Amino acid sequence: MGKAVFNYNVFMAVTIAMMGLVLWMVFIWTPTETEQGAISRSLFFHVPLAWVSMVAIAGVSIASLAYLRFKDIRWDRLAVAMAETGVVAGGLMLLTGMVWAKPVWGTWWTGEAKLTTALIMFFIYVAYLMFRAYYPAGAQRHRLAAIIAVIGVVDSLIVYAAADLWERAHPPIIIGPAAEEDDQFASEFGLTLLASVVAFSLTYALVVYERYRIRSTEDELAELTKRKESLEVAPA
Amino acid sequence: MKRLLAPALLAAVVLALPLAPVLAQESDRVVDGVITGVTAAPGGELVSFKLVDSAGLMVDLKVQGGAQPTEFGLENQAGDRWASDQAKAPVEAARRLQDHQARFAPVTVTVRGDTAVSVVERESGRLETNLGYLFALYTATWAAFFAYIFYLSRRQRDLQREVARLKDSMPRSKAQ
Repeated sequence: MGKAVFNYNVFMAVTIAMMGLVLWMVFIWTPTETEQGAISRSLFFHVPLAWVSMVAIAGVSIASLAYLRFKDIRWDRLAVAMAETGVVAGGLMLLTGMVWAKPVWGTWWTGEAKLTTALIMFFIYVAYLMFRAYYPAGAQRHRLAAIIAVIGVVDSLIVYAAADLWERAHPPIIIGPAAEEDDQFASEFGLTLLASVVAFSLTYALVVYERYRIRSTEDELAELTKRKESLEVAPA
Repeated sequence: MKRLLAPALLAAVVLALPLAPVLAQESDRVVDGVITGVTAAPGGELVSFKLVDSAGLMVDLKVQGGAQPTEFGLENQAGDRWASDQAKAPVEAARRLQDHQARFAPVTVTVRGDTAVSVVERESGRLETNLGYLFALYTATWAAFFAYIFYLSRRQRDLQREVARLKDSMPRSKAQ
């Protein structure tokens, strides 16, 4: 336990240091983009949030399917923790995108494929969580929730490729395997973006870990309450 | 030796003359900013203008006609570029600068002494003066976020210990 706490503290310290470095790079180190001006700096938050929300839905589906396969409650807790954190990342991704689009495109929103599929991904997160919250407990709930998560993965792949599949106003892919330029991380912009993606991924992992632990405690408390009730019903 | 000194000095001056404009240009400075005032003659010709630079300092600048007039390269709101100089189109220059002032459109001005050599659309992005504040605000926000996460983790650890203690102290039910 002591070792685990120590590792957690180190992990948290690394995450905080990384985020501090990213803020310095975003606001101090990186020169202002000549065409868009200062608003281009919001992309250092928008792109990592989009990345995290897309990767997270894949994690949710993997954890959901793993629970169906192994029936281990820890997979279920992980899936919910990732979904809850992912929906926040997805919402912030949409918000930062709109804040960027207004001065650059002249509008908060367009109906193009990239934006629409990203909005659908956000709704899939919401649907997953609502389904988990309101559908009666049991195997059926887990099966259907896993199906929703898998649909989210398919949608996230479309979100990722949408700017290249249907070329519209949204900039092309700049991170990941389908990125257009190989030397994209040679500039200050690219390095800052890379560092930001790493920092947001670490932060996401940290929050998921915390949420997972809280959920574990909630389950233990529920079990404790059940035991207490059974003792009250049948006193010794 | 003394006889050679005067011709040598003369040759040096003659050779240095073509370099004079270059040396003078090196002392030119570039100012990025937003136009805050335009002064025109009764006929509408541009006389001078005021600029607030990226440090918030007000700069008064004259324009010049003649052989080396102040040059302009400015775009309207639609992005159409207009290029001319003070000798050819002083009235249009005043109108363009007033348009930039009304739109808060940033410009880059090359300045020699107190005179503008050229006025063009912003060429370098050094206008942002509030990024330091933004950096501080973001840092404070993230610090609060991580502090909250740390607080949660400590509370969580205490709670887990408490639950484990309760579990151990509670007698097993008959069903178990």
